[in-house]
Amino acid sequence: MEFYDVVVLGAGPAGLAAGLSSYEEGANTLIIEREKYPGGILKQCIHDGFGLVEFKERLTGPEYAERFIKMVRNKKIPILTSTFVTSIKKEEEIFILSVVSKDGIIKVGAKAIILANGCRERTSKQIGIHGTRPSGVMTAGLAQYFVNIMGYLPCKKCIILGSGDIGLIMARRLTLEGAKVLGVYEVKNSPSGLTRNIVQCLNDFSIPLYLSKTITKISGDDRVEGVEICDVDENMKPIKGTEKFIECDGVILSVGLIPENEIAESLNVEIDNATKGPYVDQNFMTKVDGIFSCGNALHVNDLVDYVTESGRLAGKSAAKYASSKYKRALNPIEIPLNKFLYAVPQYIDINSDNNKVVMYLRSRDIVKNVKVIIKSRNEILYEKRYTHLNPPEMERIVFDFNRSSLNDYSIKILMQEG
Amino acid sequence: MEEFTCIICPNGCKIKVEKIEDGFKVEGNICKRGYEFAINEMTNPKRSLCTTVKTSYKDFPRLPVKTDREIPKDMIFKVMEEINKINLTHMVKSNDIIIENVLGTGANIVSTCDMELIFKEE
Amino acid sequence: MNGGAVLGRIEKIQGEIINSVSKNIFCAEKRNSILLEGEVETYEEVIKAGKLATNRGYKGVINNIKVKGLTLPSRKHPKLIDNKLERKKVDVLIIGGGVIGSAIARELSKWEISILLIDKEDDLAVHASSRNNGMIHPGIDPNPKTKKAYYNVQGNKLYSKVAKELDVSFERCGNIVLYDAWYGKIISPVLKLRARLNGVEGMKYLSKRETKELEPYIYDDFIGSVIFPTTGIVSPYKMTIAFAENAVLNGAEVSLNTAALSIKCEDRKIIYVDTNRGRIFPKIVINAAGVHADEIAEMADDRFFTIHPRKGHILILDKKKGQFLNSIVSKPAINQSKSGTKGGGVTKTIDGNILVGPDAVEQPFKEDYSTNKENIDNIINKHFPILPLISPSDIITYFSGNRAATYEEDFIIEKSEYVKNLIHAAGIQSPGLASAPAIALDIEKMAVEVLSTMMEVKPKEKWNPYRKGIPELFKMSEKERNEYIKKRPDYGIIICRCEEISKGEIVDAINSPIPVNSLDAIKRRVRPGMGRCQGAFCTPSVAKIIEENANKNILEITKKGGESYLVVEETKKGGGAQFGIL
Repeated sequence: MEFYDVVVLGAGPAGLAAGLSSYEEGANTLIIEREKYPGGILKQCIHDGFGLVEFKERLTGPEYAERFIKMVRNKKIPILTSTFVTSIKKEEEIFILSVVSKDGIIKVGAKAIILANGCRERTSKQIGIHGTRPSGVMTAGLAQYFVNIMGYLPCKKCIILGSGDIGLIMARRLTLEGAKVLGVYEVKNSPSGLTRNIVQCLNDFSIPLYLSKTITKISGDDRVEGVEICDVDENMKPIKGTEKFIECDGVILSVGLIPENEIAESLNVEIDNATKGPYVDQNFMTKVDGIFSCGNALHVNDLVDYVTESGRLAGKSAAKYASSKYKRALNPIEIPLNKFLYAVPQYIDINSDNNKVVMYLRSRDIVKNVKVIIKSRNEILYEKRYTHLNPPEMERIVFDFNRSSLNDYSIKILMQEG
Repeated sequence: MEEFTCIICPNGCKIKVEKIEDGFKVEGNICKRGYEFAINEMTNPKRSLCTTVKTSYKDFPRLPVKTDREIPKDMIFKVMEEINKINLTHMVKSNDIIIENVLGTGANIVSTCDMELIFKEE
Repeated sequence: MNGGAVLGRIEKIQGEIINSVSKNIFCAEKRNSILLEGEVETYEEVIKAGKLATNRGYKGVINNIKVKGLTLPSRKHPKLIDNKLERKKVDVLIIGGGVIGSAIARELSKWEISILLIDKEDDLAVHASSRNNGMIHPGIDPNPKTKKAYYNVQGNKLYSKVAKELDVSFERCGNIVLYDAWYGKIISPVLKLRARLNGVEGMKYLSKRETKELEPYIYDDFIGSVIFPTTGIVSPYKMTIAFAENAVLNGAEVSLNTAALSIKCEDRKIIYVDTNRGRIFPKIVINAAGVHADEIAEMADDRFFTIHPRKGHILILDKKKGQFLNSIVSKPAINQSKSGTKGGGVTKTIDGNILVGPDAVEQPFKEDYSTNKENIDNIINKHFPILPLISPSDIITYFSGNRAATYEEDFIIEKSEYVKNLIHAAGIQSPGLASAPAIALDIEKMAVEVLSTMMEVKPKEKWNPYRKGIPELFKMSEKERNEYIKKRPDYGIIICRCEEISKGEIVDAINSPIPVNSLDAIKRRVRPGMGRCQGAFCTPSVAKIIEENANKNILEITKKGGESYLVVEETKKGGGAQFGIL
C-alpha cells in the first residue's frame, strides 16, 4: 500500500489548487481524478471570464485549467487519472482508500483527505417536471459537452429552463452554432445567473428571458415535440388556465447544481442543508478530523477564482494537519437564515493558529443598502456596507478574530439596514 | 434612445442613452464607469468571441478558440462563418493563431488549449 | 363460467347498466362472451359498465364502449419497414417480448422446434416488464382458486432455481405488512386462511419489537406485522433479458422492432402474421402481447376479453438511502379497492435503491407513461411516512407502467377455444413477474401438445439451462473484482460514477446475445445512467463506447430506438478548408 500525507479527490480547479498548495506546504500529495484528463468541468467551459481575481486576466475555462495543470506537472505532483475511489475507511488515524483503475484495485493510505469532487446538475425529475420522457431533455452541462467537446447539436429549436449561468452560456453557444433558442424560462421572479451573462448571452442575441414561468409538461414520444409552459404565482406554483404549448425539439435544464458528497456522507461527514456541502471550519476541515472540503463540493460557487482559493486554503490546512494533528474546538457561526442563504465556513476552530477567516456568503433576497456585520459578544470583527446584494452573486469577506476574546462565544453574522 | 443594462458592477443600472447634438444624454447610471459603458454600447459595441474549430483528431474533434481582442458585435456571425470553414490537422498550443486578422477586424482567432497537454497521459 | 346464453341474463345486465351507468350502452352476446358497445361521457362509466358485466356467467367481457370526444391513439409501431422476415416459416411465433414471452421462449427452447419471438420495441421488457418494482410476490393477494393464485405461488417457488440458472441476482428479502390494532384483528384470520388455501408458506406474525429488529428505520405508529418470508426481489428487466438470452443461446430467434400488424386466419386457423418486416408463417402463435393482448386476439378473431390499462407510478430514491430498508414494507390502506393491488409500499431493490409506490389508476391509454404531479404527490404523502429518514429530495426519478388488467382480473393462460393454433398468455398484470416461470411451463406444455398434432416434437439433446450474466463488479469482493480487471482492464475504467459501472460491463451489454445499442437498452442490462445524475455525466462516454463497439455514428445512437436520437446534427458542417500545413 502506498502512503501519502494528503490525498485530493478531484483534479478540477479546486483539486488542482488544493494539491498544489498541499505540496507547497511540504506534504507528500496525490491527486486522484475519475476522468481521463485533469481540468474538471473547465474543459468544456470554453467561454471567457475566468481568472479575473486569480490572474487579473480574462481567461477561458481551458486556459484557466491549463495554468494549474502546468503548475502541478512542473512540480511533478502525481495525478492518477481514469481512477475512481470506491470507498474510504478510517483505520486508527489513517484513511484507507480503495482505488480502482485499469490496473486493478489498489489501497492508498492518507493522513488527510481533501474532497474536491465538484457538483452535479439537478435533473428534470428532481424539479418535478412531468409528462413523457423523450430524447432531447438534458442538463445544460450535458448539452455543453455535446456542443463544445464533441461538436454536435443536441437540438435545433429549444427552450432553456432556468436562468442559471450554464443555461445562459448555452443559450449563446447554441445560437452561435446555428440552433434556435426560443427563450429562457425562470420560475423565480428574478434571474439566477449573473447580470453580465443575461446581457451578453441573451440580450446580445435577442433571446427572450421569461420570469415567473415554468415548464409543467413535456410532450413527445421519441424526441421532444413541445412543452407546456405555465405562469407561476408568488409561491412558484403553476397557475391553472395559463398553460401555453410551445413546439420545440429540445429542453435544456439549468435548474441548479448540487455538491457531490456521496463519499463524504459515507464517512459520516455532516452536511449543511443550506449549502448541501459539508460543514467546515475556517481551515476547510469538515466535522470529521482529517477530511477537508473545497470548491463546488463544499458549496456552489459562481466564480472559479473562489473555487481555486478554497482549494488552496484547504490544501494548506490539510498539509498542516497531516504534519501535526491538533485537537479542535469548534464554535458555530450563527447566521440568520431569513437574511442569508448561507455562509461558509459554518464553524470557527478557536484552537487553530489560523485566526484569519475567509468567508463566502449569499444573501437570501435582492437587498439594497445594507450593512453586513460580523460580531462576537460585543466586539465587531467586520463591517461592510453594500449598496446591492444579489443572491446569484456570492460575496467574499475576510476577517480576523482574537482567540482569547472568542472563548465560549459564537460568532454572529448580522444584516442591518443602513 | 437606447437602453442598456450596465454590467460593470452588480448594481446592474438600467441606463438610457440618447444621441443629442453635441454628444450624448445619459440617464440612470450612478457612476462614471456606467456612463462610459453606455456610450460604448451605443456607439461601438464590441465583444470577444469564444467558440471551437473542427479538428481531424478523432479523440479531440473540437478545439476551443477565441478572438484575441474584441470584435464589433455585429461581426460575430460573420466571424463564426469563417471559423466554421476550418479543419485543423495539426496539434496546437494555447495562443497559436488559427486565423490571422479575421475579416479585417484586427483580431486573430487563437487556440485556447494546449492539445499536447491534454493528450499527455499522466 | 363458460355457460352459453341463458335466457334473460343479458337483459338483466343491460337493465343494470342502464340504471346505474348510462342508457347509451348496449349489451350483446358474442360467442360465449358479453359485448358492450355505445358511447358514454366519461372513462369511469366505461370501467363501471365493464365491471357490472364481469363474472355474470360469460367467458369474458368485450368492452368496446367509447368515450365521447376521446380518440384513443393506435398502437405505436416502429417506423422501420423491411423484408427481414418475409415468408419466414417457424414452428412457434411468440408475440411480445416481456417477461412472459421471454420466459415462454426459454422453456420452449428445450424442444427441437424453431421459435421466433417478436417485439415491436427496440428492446425487450420495454413496457410492464420494466415498469414495476421487481417484487416476487408470495401469493397471498390473489383470491384462492384463481389462476393468479396458482401461478403466483408456483412461480415464486421456481424463482430460486431459474434465477440461479440464468445468473440473475435474486433474493428472498421477505415482505412485511404492518398493521395497527383493529386492522390486525380483522385481517389476521383472513390472511391465515388465504395463506393456507393458496399454499403460501412461512407466513408469520411479528411483534412490534421483532418487526423493528428486521426494519429498524421504519416509523413507530404500528403495533405489529405479518411477514411473508418467501417474497423475493429481482431486477424485472434483467430477468426478462436473461430468459430471452437463454432462449437465443438455445437456438430461438428474437426479432426486435417487429410489430404484428394483422393476422390471416382460414378455417379457424392462423395462416400467417403480417409484420412491418415481412409475412411470417407460423405453425402456432402465442399471444403474450401484454396490454395489447386483446388487440392481438381480435386480429385472430378470438377476442373474448378486454385489457383496461391500470397505471402505476413508482418513485426511485437515491441509493444512499438504501441502508434504511432491508426488504419490502407496506401498510395497507383500509379502503383499498378490490381490483387494485395491495396499494404499494417501500421496496429495497436488488441494486440497493429504495422504490416507493406503486399506486393504481384506471386510465384509457395503454402506452402513455407520462406522469403528473398529483399522482407523484399522492405516493409521497401515502408512503414516505413509513420511513421517516427519507424525504422528497432523495427522489432521483420516477416512472409509470400500465398493468394489463382484464375485467375478470385473472390471468388468461389457455389454448384458444376458437382458433386451433393460438395460445393466450394474456391479462397478466401483477403478480405477472412472480408468476412468469410457472406460466411459461404450462404454456410450454400446451404449445408442445398443439404442435404434436402437426409435427414430431422431440426434446433438444443439448439444451443448456444455464446462461452467464454480465459481471456486476461493484457487488464483488475486492479480490474478485481485481481478478476481473486483470483479465480485462476495461472493467477497471468507471464510466458511470453514480452506479459505479465500468466500461467493460457496457461493452459486454453491447455484445450480449441479443445485441442492443440504445442508451436505455444498455441501462436495462448494466445500469449506467440509473443513478442520481441520471446520465448527465456518463451519457457522452456511453455514446462513445457504443460508437466504438457497435460500429455506429453518434448521429445514429438513440435513447430508446425509433427516432429518439441523442444529437441531431454535427456543428461546422461547412468545415472544408484544410488547415494544418503552415
